[in-house]
Amino acid sequence: MKKITIDPITRLEGHGKIEIFLNEEGDVENAYLQIPELRGFERFCEGRPLEEMPRITPRICGVCPEAHHMASTKATDAVYHVDPPPVAKKLRELFYSAHMIHSHIAHFYALAAPDFVLGPASDPAQRNILGLIARVGLEVGREVIKHRAYAQDIQAAIGGKATHPVCGLPGGMSKALTEEERRDFEEKAKSLVEFAKFSLKLFDDVVLANKEYLDLIVGDVYTMSSYYMGLVDANNKVNFYDGDIRVVDPEGKEFAKFKPADYLQHVAEHTEPWSYLKFPFLKRVGWKGLAEGRESGVYRVNSLARLNVADGMATPLAQAEYEKMYQALGGKPVHATLAFHWARLIELLYAAERLLELCRDREITDPGVRILPTATPDEGVGVVEAPRGTLFHHYQTDDRGLIKKVNLIVATAHNNPAMNMAIRKAAQRLIKKGKVTEGLLNMVEMAFRAYDPCMACATHSLPGQMPLEVVIRDSRGDVVKRLSQHLHPKPLGI
Amino acid sequence: MKTLILGLGNPILSDDSVGLRVARALEGRLNEQGVTVMETSVVGLGLLDLLTGYDRAIIIDAIQTVGGKAGQIYRLAPDAFHFTRHAAPPHDVNLATALELGSRLGLALPRQIVIFAIEVADASTFGEECTPEVMRAIPVCAEMVVEELNGNHISST
Repeated sequence: MKKITIDPITRLEGHGKIEIFLNEEGDVENAYLQIPELRGFERFCEGRPLEEMPRITPRICGVCPEAHHMASTKATDAVYHVDPPPVAKKLRELFYSAHMIHSHIAHFYALAAPDFVLGPASDPAQRNILGLIARVGLEVGREVIKHRAYAQDIQAAIGGKATHPVCGLPGGMSKALTEEERRDFEEKAKSLVEFAKFSLKLFDDVVLANKEYLDLIVGDVYTMSSYYMGLVDANNKVNFYDGDIRVVDPEGKEFAKFKPADYLQHVAEHTEPWSYLKFPFLKRVGWKGLAEGRESGVYRVNSLARLNVADGMATPLAQAEYEKMYQALGGKPVHATLAFHWARLIELLYAAERLLELCRDREITDPGVRILPTATPDEGVGVVEAPRGTLFHHYQTDDRGLIKKVNLIVATAHNNPAMNMAIRKAAQRLIKKGKVTEGLLNMVEMAFRAYDPCMACATHSLPGQMPLEVVIRDSRGDVVKRLSQHLHPKPLGI
Repeated sequence: MKTLILGLGNPILSDDSVGLRVARALEGRLNEQGVTVMETSVVGLGLLDLLTGYDRAIIIDAIQTVGGKAGQIYRLAPDAFHFTRHAAPPHDVNLATALELGSRLGLALPRQIVIFAIEVADASTFGEECTPEVMRAIPVCAEMVVEELNGNHISST
């Protein structure tokens, strides 16, 4: 079999790329996912005042600015050694629950559901949210837009802006919640709980009732044994905003539990010449390459990982759905990558229930939302669960609070090794004897779409988000197929 | 006719900010004429919220095309992006899909949408400046938007 080496020119500029290498028999020798990275962030931040970081870092990401805002705000608390008052923490969690709802609704209906409702190998022109609503009805489309807007209204009201929030300050929040807002949010939260229940019902009817899809979910193509990482609360329940970081091994046993500030004792990063993005791994296990199982330090984050590391959900309806999922998929942990979608919907329900609880909290409108920091700033770590997984912000400042050093580990980085493995496995199982169809390629893409990676998503350039290119090469390295979205418009005569 | 001029971009990602800068250049000038000028960093479905309620919209954004020259300006209809529905955009839906979804759901979206896109050199390095060619295109594009408002279409060569 011919040995494949990756030419450095395959390093990509500007877009994500899946590259699949075939051997002489036309079977898949290897496959790689390359994710573009934005440059110069650390240098951009150096010398700036710490308290600007919660306003700068949301600009890294086009879809989860709120996650960066919260991780960053928590890091500023840590740098200033200030513990925000309980009401501020609750208000942040309320805001953050709305963000998880907003993000999970978009992911499920715009990205995940079309693969199932229309079918993985269906016409790509139909396999999108438009095809979805054509199938399940306009009314569902309206409900999606309405509830996404509810979550957005709550984010915007607390965040102070429609996107790129400005509410988090070291030691608390910029403003308290009014009783009028609270009442409005409570009504919206009630409706969001119902919508989350409806979404799980839809998943039940469309996906789980279809044996073919259930087989696809639990089948070998999309299954991968790994460690998992996520935040848990004091009772080891899933928490998006705060807690300790728990890691479980591929058998589901607790492998580590640590404070966010200690992350560097547990996580290290491997580099590969063909990737801008690094490959994080568990230090105590070590880097053994892109390999599955207990001996490999590869771990995963995101929805399913959060459920796998936890002992359950902190709200009753979500807990019932949690139990149902593990029962249906054969107990904990679940290694099925496509179950990320199911786990995401259970989280949607949890986030909505938690939002409602917080809206009904007697203390939530308390005006004392901030403690002024008085300690000398130095160094600190802030963590939240971004919709796509654990997000670390780590800052060092001088004694005036000016940034000296920044380290971020984003969800897409944690999952980088796993996504490469998931794509390789799916490609190897699905592409045989050189037969590459668009339907098969979509099924390969499904392996990574479950993770919903950030492809330099801070960029807004047209055609709208980073295009993804899929390149298939034969055993000589020649391109045999290329799928991409390029534009060739004519410039104006100026 | 209610008109929205919408500049898109990321203010701290070099040339990616160009749409915002064109909008800013027009703000004082056009707001007086009853035209709404807005700068935003939202994408995908979020754009529907901003566009709803207007009769006409002019969107200004950065673009990167194969073999394009930095500073080139394109006038595009939302149709130009229809084909991108076919591939798999990560995260969110693109503009064309968002608009079609909005119209199928009966949202009051603008009947006329024109996109001015400026070819950029660097939209992947953090920074608060644009590259020189892109900087020079900003007043040119701003004039084109004004012409467009006055009903004078500039056609592609």
